[in-house]
This record gives sequence, C-alpha cells and structure tokens, in this order.
Amino acid sequence: MGMACLLVVTTTISAQKRYVAPFRVTDDSTIVKIGYADGNNKTMSGSVDQITEEHMNKGLMTNPLDALSGKAAGVSISSQEAMISAVRVRGTTSLTGGNDPLVIIDGVSSDLATLSTVYPADIESFTILKDASETAQYGSRGASGVIQVATKKGRNEQFHISYDGNIGWESIYKNIEMLSGSEFRSAASALGVTIIDKGYDSDFLHTITRGGFVQNHHIAFGGGTKTANYRASIGIMDHKTVIQNNNYRNYIAKLDVTQLAFDDHLTVDLGVFGSLQKNNYIPFTQKLFYSAAAFNPTYSTGLNSDGGWDQIPDASQINNPSSLLTMKDDEDNGHFNVHLRMNADLGHGLSVAAFGSYSYNVVDLSQYFPTIVWSHGQAYRGEDKSEELLGDMTVSYNHDWNKHHLDVLGLAEVQVQTRKGFYTTVSSFSTDEFGYDNLAAGAVRAWDGTGSYFENPHMESFLARANYVYDNRYTLTVNARTDASSKVGKNNRWGFFPSVSGAWMISNEKFMKDITWISNMKLRVGYGLSGNLGGIDSYNSQQYVKPNGIISVNGSPTVTLGIIRNANPDLKWEVKKTFNVGLEMATWNNRVVFTADYYTSKTTDMLYMYDVSVPPYTYNKLLANLGSMRNSGLELGVGVTPVKTKDMELNINMNIAFVKNKLISLSGYYNGDYLTAPDITAIAGLNGAGFHGGNNNIVYQIVGESLGVFYLPHCTGLTKNSDGSYSYAIADLDHDGTENLEDGKDRYVAGQATPKATLGSNISFRYKQFDISVQMNGAFGHKIYNGTSLTYMNMLSLPNYNVMKGAVERNIQDQTATDYWLEKGDYVNIDYVTVGWNIPIRKVSRYITSMRVSCSLNNLATFTGYSGLTPMINSSVISSTLGVDDKRNYPVYRSYTFGFSIQF
Amino acid sequence: MMKTLRFNIWNVIAGCVILVSTSCSGYLDENAKDQISEEKAYSTTGNLYLNTVATLYNYIGGNEESQGLQGTYRGVYDLNTFTTDEAIIPTRGGDWYDGGFWQGLFLHSWGVNNSALNNTWNYLYKVIALSNRSLEKLDEHSSLLTSSQLAAYKAEVRAFRAMYYYYLMDLFGNVPLVLSTSTSMNSVKQSSRSTVYNYIVSELQDVYPLLSTENSVKLGDYYGRVTRSVAFFLLAKLALNAEIYSDDDWTDSSKPSGNSIYFTVNGNKLNAWQTVEVYCDSISSLGYNLESDFSSNFAVYNENSCENIFVIPMDKNLFTNQMQNLFRTYHYKHAAAYGFTAENGSCATIEALKTFGYDTDTVDTRFAKSYYAGTVTDLSGNIVKLSTGENLVYTPWDVKLDLSGTSTMQTAGARMKKYAVDKTATKDGKLMDNDIVLFRFADVLLMRCEAMVRNGENGDAYLNRIRRRAGMTDRKATLHNILAERQLEFAWEGWRRQDLIRFGEYTRAYTDRPQLSGESNGYTTVFPIPANVMSLNSNLVQNSGYMTK
Repeated sequence: MGMACLLVVTTTISAQKRYVAPFRVTDDSTIVKIGYADGNNKTMSGSVDQITEEHMNKGLMTNPLDALSGKAAGVSISSQEAMISAVRVRGTTSLTGGNDPLVIIDGVSSDLATLSTVYPADIESFTILKDASETAQYGSRGASGVIQVATKKGRNEQFHISYDGNIGWESIYKNIEMLSGSEFRSAASALGVTIIDKGYDSDFLHTITRGGFVQNHHIAFGGGTKTANYRASIGIMDHKTVIQNNNYRNYIAKLDVTQLAFDDHLTVDLGVFGSLQKNNYIPFTQKLFYSAAAFNPTYSTGLNSDGGWDQIPDASQINNPSSLLTMKDDEDNGHFNVHLRMNADLGHGLSVAAFGSYSYNVVDLSQYFPTIVWSHGQAYRGEDKSEELLGDMTVSYNHDWNKHHLDVLGLAEVQVQTRKGFYTTVSSFSTDEFGYDNLAAGAVRAWDGTGSYFENPHMESFLARANYVYDNRYTLTVNARTDASSKVGKNNRWGFFPSVSGAWMISNEKFMKDITWISNMKLRVGYGLSGNLGGIDSYNSQQYVKPNGIISVNGSPTVTLGIIRNANPDLKWEVKKTFNVGLEMATWNNRVVFTADYYTSKTTDMLYMYDVSVPPYTYNKLLANLGSMRNSGLELGVGVTPVKTKDMELNINMNIAFVKNKLISLSGYYNGDYLTAPDITAIAGLNGAGFHGGNNNIVYQIVGESLGVFYLPHCTGLTKNSDGSYSYAIADLDHDGTENLEDGKDRYVAGQATPKATLGSNISFRYKQFDISVQMNGAFGHKIYNGTSLTYMNMLSLPNYNVMKGAVERNIQDQTATDYWLEKGDYVNIDYVTVGWNIPIRKVSRYITSMRVSCSLNNLATFTGYSGLTPMINSSVISSTLGVDDKRNYPVYRSYTFGFSIQF
Repeated sequence: MMKTLRFNIWNVIAGCVILVSTSCSGYLDENAKDQISEEKAYSTTGNLYLNTVATLYNYIGGNEESQGLQGTYRGVYDLNTFTTDEAIIPTRGGDWYDGGFWQGLFLHSWGVNNSALNNTWNYLYKVIALSNRSLEKLDEHSSLLTSSQLAAYKAEVRAFRAMYYYYLMDLFGNVPLVLSTSTSMNSVKQSSRSTVYNYIVSELQDVYPLLSTENSVKLGDYYGRVTRSVAFFLLAKLALNAEIYSDDDWTDSSKPSGNSIYFTVNGNKLNAWQTVEVYCDSISSLGYNLESDFSSNFAVYNENSCENIFVIPMDKNLFTNQMQNLFRTYHYKHAAAYGFTAENGSCATIEALKTFGYDTDTVDTRFAKSYYAGTVTDLSGNIVKLSTGENLVYTPWDVKLDLSGTSTMQTAGARMKKYAVDKTATKDGKLMDNDIVLFRFADVLLMRCEAMVRNGENGDAYLNRIRRRAGMTDRKATLHNILAERQLEFAWEGWRRQDLIRFGEYTRAYTDRPQLSGESNGYTTVFPIPANVMSLNSNLVQNSGYMTK
C-alpha cells in the first residue's frame, strides 16, 4: 500500500473564466496513450500535454474541465454559467460548427456534455492532443483538437476503499450598484419626470441572489491481483448556485474490471458507467439580471394584495424579478455507457485489440412559463435520446533491432449514432397550478409546436500509423487516415487526412554529453491535415422534403410537404492544414523546464451559408465549401523548481499563449458560379429597451480581420445639450458630411474581442505535510464592450427603468452604441488558493493509508482596468454574446471550501 | 511460428477490410426517417397534388418578416402601404426609429440596401422557383394523372405563378422571367416590364378556362385557392393598369394610352378599358355581390362573405399564417383591454383624415369602421385608461413623421380597425380566425367604374352602388372622386400605392413628405433591384434613378 495521496480536487467555476496552463513534460519512462497509439517521451514527435492527477487543479470543482483549466497552453476554457464550459484548443477553426474539441473518454468518443457528467475524482489523467500529427489520427474529427480522458481503473493491490468529499459556501462580493429608492426619487424630480412611487426602498438585485452551497461526496473502492482487478466508485454532487432556483445535481456510478488470461496474453477490460444529472436552469438569464437591476426601487419586493407581484406598466423589456423566478426550466440528463476492450498480445511485438462501446443518453427538458409573466402561459416538454455504437479493431506491431525502433499500427473503425426525440409546446393555460406536469391544462397546441425527429449518421474509418526511432535520437512518425461519413455528399464520401512529423532528441546526441546541466532537449516539427464536419447536419447533402404547413384540401386540413433549403450534393469536409514546430528543454535535472511551440494552420473548404442569387435558386443561401481561415500562435511554458528537498518543495509554473486569427476569404466558385458571403456580418449586439432594429451591432465578422472584431462608430466626446444633458458626439469617419451609423458608413474596426495572449500560472509550495497552491490566469490584448454601462447610464431610461449610481452626475441622455464604452479587457485573476494538510497517519490507525484535509478559497481577486462588473465574459466562443457585456453577468462571488479525504 | 502468425493476422486484417468495404456501400447511406426523399412525396395521385399544388399555398401567408402577401412586417403589404399618403409609422421616441427604416419608406428615400426590398424579392422569387419545380414534377409524374387532372393542376400552378410575377413586376419593374429550375445563374437576365406584363396576361388568359369556378372564400373544396374568379380579378387589375405596366420607361413623362393598348378577349380585340369591363362582368356572373354591411367582410368568421374573392385562410389552431398589422397598431393599454400586448405603431396620415372628412359633419361612415380615433373603449364599452389614470384618447390630427419629445408621442394618430377583434386570438392577436382579405367585389365595381370613365363612358351607377352601400350620398364618377372612393373603401387593404401611381399622384408632396429631388420624373414608382441581388448577378441592370454603389 503506497502513499497514494488522494488529493481532493474540487473547484467551483465562477462565471466566465479563461484558463491557460503550465505545461507538462513527461519523462522518458511514462507511457502515454496518444490517440490510438502508445508512446513515451522518446518516441513521441508531437506536442502532447498530459495532466495527471497530481497536477490537476485543486480547490472546489464541479466539472472535470475545472481540473484541467489553466494547465495546458493553448486550451482556453470559459464558462458562461456555473456549469457549462466552452473549450477551445488553439482558437476557432470553423465558422459553422465543430469548434469543440473531440473528447475521448476511455476510448469512447464523446463530447463535452458527457464529460461534464464524469466525477472529477474518477479522472486519472487528461491528454491534450494539439499538433498536426496527433490530431490527424482522428482525421475528420480532429481539427479542433482532442482531449483524451483516462479514468481510474483497478490496480494490482490489496483491497482499498477511499472517501473524499468537500463542502463549500459561495458568497457574492461584488454586484452592480443601481440607485436606491430615495436616490431614484430625487433623480426623477431633478429631471422633472413623474415616477410611480410606491413608497418603498428595495434592492431587487438582492431578491434574486442567495448564498450558494456545494457539496461533493465520493466513495471509491477496488483491489485485485496481477491478473484481475476492479475498481468501483459512486459519487454525488450537489450545487446550489448564488442565483435563486439555479441548481445542479449529479449522481454517478462507475465500475471497471480488468482480467488477464492465457498467461497474460489476453487482457480484457470492461467498463460500465452511469450518471444522472438533474439541473434547474434560469430560462432567460439576461432578462432576469436586467429586470433585477432596472426595476423601480420604490416598489415593494413582496407580494401585492392580489397575491401576485406588481409590474411596471410601460417598461416592456423587464418584469418583476420575483415573478421571473417562477419560470421553470428543468433538465434531467441520464447517461449510460458500457465498453469492452480485448487486447491479445501475440508475442514478438505483435498485438491485436478489439474495442466496442455502447452509449445511451437521454435528455429530458421541461419548461413552464406562468401566465403572470408569459401571455397565456406556455409549457414545453421535450425528450432527446441518442445511442451510439462504436467498434474498432487495431493491429499493432513493434520491434527493436540494433539502434532502430519501429512501431506500426493499423485500425479499422465504425461508428453509428441514432438520435431521436420529440417535443410539444402547449399554451393558453387558465391556471398555473399544473406547471408542466399536466399538459391537458393548456388549451392550444399549435401545429408547429409539436414534432419529432430522427437522425442516423454513420461513419467508417481506417488508419495506418508508423513510428520509427533511430538510436533514441531521431523520430519519424507518419499517419494516414481516411474517413467516410453519411453526412457528406455522395461524391465526396471519403476524406484523406495524412500527417508526418519528426523529432530530434538533441540531448541524446554525442556533442551534448558534456553539457550535463541540460537533462533533456528535444526539437520537433510536424505537418498534417485534419477535417471538420461540425457544420453539416444530417441530410444536408440531399434534397429531402419535410412537412411545411397545413392547407385545406377538399375541405379538410391536410399537411403538405416541401423542400426547405437548397441542397448541395458536393458537400465535403472542411480541411485544416497545420504546421507546427516546437522545442522542449529541461535543465538541471528537471529543475527548470521550458517549452516553446509555434503553429500555423489554415482551414480551407470552409463551410458557411453563402449567398446565392434568387432566381434561379429557390432559397438565397447555400451551404458550401468555399472560404478559408488562418490561425497561428506561439505557446511558451516555463516551470521552475527552486527548492526541492525532503521537507520542502517549491514549484513555479507559467505558460503563455499568443494566438492570431484571420478570416481570409468567404468566396469562391461552386459549379462555375461565383458565390460569396457579405464581407461584414454582425455577430453580437445589444438588446433591451431602446435597442430594437437600428444599429446596435457591436461585434462583427469581417473578411480580412480576426474573427470577432469591434466595428463601431467613433465617439469624439460628450457634447453638452441645451438642457444640460450630454450626448455622444459621432465622428464622420467617411467624410461624407453626414453621421450615418449603418454598416459601411461611419464605423471603424476598433479592436478584437478574442485575447491576443493568455496566461496561466501556478505556484505551489510544500513544507513537510502542509502544502499551499495558488493558481492565476490572465488574458490580454482584447477589448470588452460595456453594454451594461451604456444602458444603465442612460438617463432617458428614467422613469420606467432604473439607472446606475453615477448616472445622475454624468447626465448622459443618449443610448447610441459607440466606442465610448469600448474598454480594454486585460485582466489577471487569482483563481484559487488552496491549503492542505496530509495528516500523518502512522499515529492514528494501521488501516488508514492516507488522510488529507484542505481548505481553499476560489476567485480571490481580479486585477483589471475594466470598469464593469467583471472582465471574464465570453471572449472565446463565436456566438451572439462574444465580447459584449450586456446585462447578463452573474454577480461575482467567492467560494470557501473545506475538503476531507481518507483512504483505507 | 512467427511467420504463420503473421500470415494469419494479415489474413484476418484483409478479411476485415474486405468485409467492411463491401458492406460500406449501403452502410454509409443516411436512413432518413423524419424527412423523406422527394420521390416518395410524389408517389400517388393524392400525394402529387398535395405536394406540388397545395403546398404552394403555405407561402401566401406567413409569420416571419417579409413572408406572405399580407399580415407580416416589411413585405409586399408594407411596401404598398407605408410608402403612400394613406398610412405612416411615426418615430415615437425610442420606438419605431429602427435605423430610419419607416421614415425612409414614407419619404421615398429607401436605398438600394433596404433589407425589406431584398427579403421581399427573395420571398417572391422563392415562391416562383417552387412553382417552377411543381410544374416540372407534375410533368415528370404525369402518368399518375388523367389528362384533365394534369391540365387542371398545371393551370392552377401557372395562375399562381403568374400572380407572383404580377407582384414582382408591380414592385420592381424589370425583373428576370425565370420559368425553369434548370436555369443557370449566368443565364438569368432581366426582361422589360412590358414583356413580363404580357407574359402574365397571356398565362392567365390561357389557364383560366381550366380553373374551377368554385368560390375560394368559403370552406369548401377550394378554400383559399386560386380559382377562376381570382384569375379574372387579376386580369381586370392588369388591364386597368395597362398604361403603367406597358410603359418600359417610366421616367420619361410619357406613357402609352389605354385606348391604344389592345387585348384579345374571347376572340375580340378590345382596348384596355373594355378588357377591364369584360372581366369585371365575368366575375359578376359568377355570383359575387356586395355585402349589405361592409364590416362583415372582415368578421371573425368571414368565410360566408359573398363579396370576398380571394383570402388568406386563417385558423389559430391549424394554420401558421399571422395577421400582425393589428398588433402593430394598438396602443399598449388598448391591446391590454383585449388581453393582448401590442406595439403602438401604425396610424393614418393627415391626407387620409382629410379624404374621410374626419371632424366634419359629412365624415364618411366608413371612417369609424376603418379607424380607431378619439376615446378608446374595450369590447364591453368601458373606457380604456392609461397608467396615469387618464382616458386613452387617440388624437388623429397630431400625427407627424417624428413624434419624439411631443406630449402625444404614444397616442397620436388614428389606428387600424377594419378587422373585427377576435377575442380568442392567440399570440397577442396575431393568430386570429378572420381570414385576411386580398381581393373583393367592391374593387370589381370600382374597377369597372374607372374603366368606363377612362373610356369615355358614364360610370356613375357603379360608383354609387358602393356609396349607397356605405350609406353616403351619390357622387359624380370623375377620376378624382374615384381615387377618393378607393381610399375610403380600401383603407388598410394594400392598394394605395398602385392606385396613386396609376393616377399619377404617387410622387407628389404631402404633409411631412416633400418631393425628393429628381422624383418628379417618377423613378420612385418602381423600387430598385436590391443591391445584394445586383452583386450576385452581373447581368442585371439597375432601375433608372437608383445608383448601386
């Protein structure tokens, strides 16, 4: 029984964090599973970050991605809400989809949503594949990077059982400050507007928040011998966030069994995993936060005489926040997986493996919008089921002779998915008592509110890989993968994704023998192709018909069928060509470690909805493969261990990644016709009172620029109007004599929404049995549009909407979106500080192997020049919220956690 | 040992590869179950009819922007209504400015980049492309049909397509005439307005004998369909506007005279005005008549109107077509009194008020049926109050293009009435049961009257039938009185732009709208080809008066 410290790794993610991590270097003997192959530092020629358990983040975690965040350079993880994370590896590669990295859990191909159901303490390691030759192994699904997750299995040891758990409290320490009741009254009288004054002095932001509470409990046990072992675990996670009604619960159970047979020639691994998530979401978070902030503070927060909540008649964009909290949005997410691997070692370096996996996933979504907030009420029930069957066969052979080492691998894989679901929407409720539990309470079922669907994509692949090492100094790896998918047009079924990479272990050269202070130095270079299919839904390549409406035919209503889009039978994969070069160096016996990686990639045949001429096309958009985008970047990592003695150890890790992205073109030839898409397309804008139609778009996709740039009118300053109020003065940038806010007129590119550089740093110190660890992350070079301040500083919103503290003094009566509120988004955030004590157990009991207590504090402080609530908004995912802080931020909170783990 | 092992392994691998690749041909096909291939949609006679002919009617109405001939925003109806002296959507503070869109329509200063023009063009051509496709599918599967069925179905689709070309030609003038789905992008070229016009007329004349004579307004076998009366109505409209539609250069201050534009009708050569009279009489002989109460055409269950000729079927539970114009017009409190929300936007112009004689003793009786003005009451007769406690009073004379900062910002303007309030309507009144009226018999009488007057005959009898039905005194049928009568009768029905253009009054200045410089030559009577469309097809030439940058 070794000193296996089961470190408690649990952290809460507070809203909108970005993490970039210290790097990892594996030492020569550790076997890493890279894609389908095994390798170690000697035989790898690509950049592979492996984060094992002791390097995972400590602190409170509710999602496995929290364990990873900040540890791998180039991997940015941002959460929009308390649980959901978006991950980008080396930037955005596609405009239409498939930007999430491929997630492989124990060989089963998965996605981020399924990863969130795995209990963090069950994870043994993350392996991140970023380079060309590694991602090319995954061919058509590898373009956005691969995150391989290995969960803990049984080991050859006596029976052991362990418990780890923690509890934590979340408390808000910063929120938006709006006018109080008395300030509201005096501001209105100063402006000369009449308000509805109910006589109270309320804080509506307070009514929607509460103290958050998290608890995790996990029990794992296992044991075995050399030839058979098992591990089982169960875990419970319960998270009540700082916003009322927003809860997450996760229950998991897991069993892994390994059996060796036939003189250890045959290894059989069986894994069974099940999880159930029960989540309660807020249906319209932006509306809730906007309502809580802007609600008239002279109203009472309680119920009125009719038993309901008072609304503000003319404030059409907001509702009483307590009435909004009655809206329900609940999700039950069940996941089940069983997989079996059989590996036969046939001797002489040859082995054959067969792998099969079956996954079943059900998402049950129920929503109810009561009549007090939604005209006539509305209920929605929907169920989505998906099954996935995966099977592959691998043959591998390795051989060493003289100074040569060769390993080759051949793989054949098939994958079938079935996705089906149904949904129904019911409205016209006379009472809210039933919620969504009895749909017969609603009178109207519109024809287009009910439906079901069925999708059945198939995929088939072959891979051949050869890895050759000469004298432990020179490595050459060649991959050739070919994939076929049913989603792609018949003419382009098969895609070919080759790659080649090489490495030079400089530290093993003769001339390096005397330079003893360099313990490891490696130069690697690679080039490869990978594909992306995320933008194609099933059936896009064929002309299908669907029900398109009801027509009265011969006196009775009949459903008719029609085509719904232009078909493109030539649809094919997006191809990403990547070139990367990297250097790794470790000096002074790994006391100082350094890595540098440079990569440049170009995505061609980019999928996008291009404009086509109507006539002759029926619809004015066509999904086609034209267009291209470039990503390039530099990742640097440094790790220093200044102190390393028996009693004390100090580790300092830091990594920084620079990313550059450019949308090169969105036009090309399709069947001889020249297709193009608009040069300037809006991505994200503002909404709320006074923001309908008009020029409220902030972040744009512009050909020739980085994806997600701010394209705004320029404000030359505040002009004072005759009544003492101020407005934004617009510059006439195109010098045509008029101020015109439309696209293409008086606007300019004012900065980018995605950071140019991201930073992650970790400092950990151990003294005897105590350890302390600090994690920091930062992002630089990007900007944030402070739409929250633009809205809440506008004095014209009075008296229907409340304004921020400070608005009265500034007296801006204008809500035009200009670069006045565009601010730098640079920040450094201290993610957590964790202090732990490994209790010396020898004195306690002979059964206990280890025991540890820890406490951690999350989200200590953020250092930034940004004037809004927090700079950690969505700055990486291309969506309608990119780069714009528009009244939808969660309040900023800290979590205080205590953890305990014990192993017998 | 190794050799045999290897040999066996390679065998196995080879076997697997062969196994997989032979089964892959069918394996990689998608098993679509929630969508079906086109061929299954046309497999029986019934299906063929449903999915080539009936399916087109899904596009007559709509619930999204610019979709549908009437009932949605920024489409055909708005382009024909808010660019005229009949209706206006004023800027009310922060509401309805929308980047200057509505002001641009009213002032005629829409540009080539106007999104409504682009979306309307795409909508009209989408339906035409679907009609072309339907005709080709009917031919392809003609073996499933008898020859009379084939002829009748094709006739209906051709008439439907001709109607859409009519809207396109009326709005955009020189449009490409695309009649097949295999036309390549390079060969799409514009045709002159008169060419498209003549094509539409000849199509309708060809096919109307094959169309059903049933009433398309009633809940019968042809509810909501293009039947013979619809085709006659279109022919009458087309002939009435012959001077405009045969004029290939509408900016040169000269247009052909209707007396010298000839049509072949039933073997006779008739001038435009006589043609109108013949087709109007054909509609009368099919049994249409005036309702005794004008409002019954717009009732909640208006399927029994003997006056309506062509409608967009509405049913809150079955059809997805919406009527958003009422939602757009009510004040928030007015709608709340009906149990809805609203957007407080559209209202009547000063010109409309003057024509109706509002605030005079001789105010037209149809004013009260077409507009809400003055104090507003709910359906039980109680006065609707504002949140301040005062009565809600619409003040029609206060209407201005920009009401921002005025005290009557929210309440100025007489609002749209016309359609009876459907108390059980859902989606804030947008899903109502009143069918949307597109064509009706009163228009037939006024068309006949106008044709007679332009042809030098006396049309008083027809004009006064309309006036007597409305309970107003007789008037002499002069062109001026006919234009005024059309405003009184057809307020809010989407005809004003076409009428003004025909009478030469579209480009004149009126309250809040000065004449644009250069507009006197008439270039604004036709909308520009949208800039997006121009950029995708280099064959197209912009309409004169508009510059595409």
